[in-house]
Amino acid sequence: MRHIPEDELHAYLDQGLSRSQCVEIESHLAGCASCQGMRDNIAALRDRTTALLARLAPPRSFPTPFDTIRRRAAIEVSARRRRVHRAAWAASVVAAVAFGWTASQIADSSGAFRTATGSPAAAPLAASLPVTPVAAVSPAPTLARPARGESNGRRTTRRPLVRKVAAAEAPRVSVPPVIAPAELELSTIDIPAAGDFELDGMWRTMSWVGAQAETGNQLPHIDGLPVVQVQVQAGKQGKQPLMVVAQQLVSGEVIRTIEGPASDVSHLLARRTMSDPDPKVSSTDSTRPGTVVYQGVDGSMAMQRGDRMIAITGALPPDSLLAMIRRLNAALRSK
Amino acid sequence: MTDDLEQLYQSTYTAVVRFLYRKVWDAERAEDLAQEVFVRALAHRPEKPRAWVFAVAANLARDEARAAVRRKRHLTLLKADPVAQPTIEPAADTLVEHDERVASVQEALNTLTPRDREILLLWDAGLSYPEIASQTGLAVGAVGTTLARARRRLVEAHDRQNPNKGTHAAHS
Repeated sequence: MRHIPEDELHAYLDQGLSRSQCVEIESHLAGCASCQGMRDNIAALRDRTTALLARLAPPRSFPTPFDTIRRRAAIEVSARRRRVHRAAWAASVVAAVAFGWTASQIADSSGAFRTATGSPAAAPLAASLPVTPVAAVSPAPTLARPARGESNGRRTTRRPLVRKVAAAEAPRVSVPPVIAPAELELSTIDIPAAGDFELDGMWRTMSWVGAQAETGNQLPHIDGLPVVQVQVQAGKQGKQPLMVVAQQLVSGEVIRTIEGPASDVSHLLARRTMSDPDPKVSSTDSTRPGTVVYQGVDGSMAMQRGDRMIAITGALPPDSLLAMIRRLNAALRSK
Repeated sequence: MTDDLEQLYQSTYTAVVRFLYRKVWDAERAEDLAQEVFVRALAHRPEKPRAWVFAVAANLARDEARAAVRRKRHLTLLKADPVAQPTIEPAADTLVEHDERVASVQEALNTLTPRDREILLLWDAGLSYPEIASQTGLAVGAVGTTLARARRRLVEAHDRQNPNKGTHAAHS
């Protein structure tokens, strides 16, 4: 006659067996005194264990009202959603802008980007841009610097000069669509904390259609977001216009995408409200040599390549921007 | 779902606190962690909230134990520092005064293997065999075996420390 194993009796007493197993055990117990004794011992052991563990109860326990728990959970859920929402928007915004910009640069392979390609000039130049008037930039042995040093406000000469110097050093090879990853560049940008988003100079608030027509469909924007405002400052004597497109996120936050000459964009950024009086910025290169990425303390982002800069105001994680640029470049490289 | 969690909170909160207390040995901390468990449950809305709650509680207790080890190591370093030593006062007001009976059970519990102790505490917290199996990775059939061993060892360890009381209890 097979007796009931000890562990099965434990499970039986703990109600850890199926109904059919229980029936089987009970029928055996009815005719087996040995197993009955074993069951009683296990029941006693079980009760003893429970009694011993009961001594280890905490001295007191005052359950917090569940509403308090619920409020805490609501706060955490809200914070988590904000993080997810922000990350999602960062990814989409960065994807849209980085892709559009990369594509425009590829298409414009004969433009000013040639000056920055493969040149370290962009980083030191960018570092001084936001706070330094164009005329005050000290000369440096860089490709673009002579043009800026000589400009003295005459920006019309910058592009031809830059292009000329660049042509002398890097030359004749047209810019490839995608460039091999370069080393990281770190730079800082000194963005002062003052003022609202102010646009000085001659700005025109335009309709989307009108601005697109005037800029040759070059308005920086994020596809799929409602456009709140378009402002354009005409470039002087052939210079690229400075464009600011304000769009609204579903959260209600308005972000602005700015594109134009680097000095103008950085100057514009410098006038924006910054939360930190001593904002700093992390800047790193993307996979494209000569591209410098800035992050303002308020979450604004800017990418500079040569004398062109595109910026997005809004809380965008820099990692999202860099990751997206790398991904896009990798995608383009595979084509 | 929220109503279910509220019911679970009402019915399980004390068990969760007790479960945590037997791991962190600090009543206030156990309550803090228990609240954190239910806050997370509300935020995550698990499909099997009861088992989930204890699984998270066990994880939080494990994290707490690691943090306690780090704190202890830090204090040890401070005590070893001849300069810092005079500034270290025994935290008498924070020490929990266990009576002899409680301490003996605590010691007996500590003689169990972590796995046996975990399963015993989960069972005492009211989890079913399938829930214990799900949380610990054991087969359901092995839960009974483990529980049998854990109970026996707990009682034997306790009786070794209290031989006069143990003889009666062991055969009762």
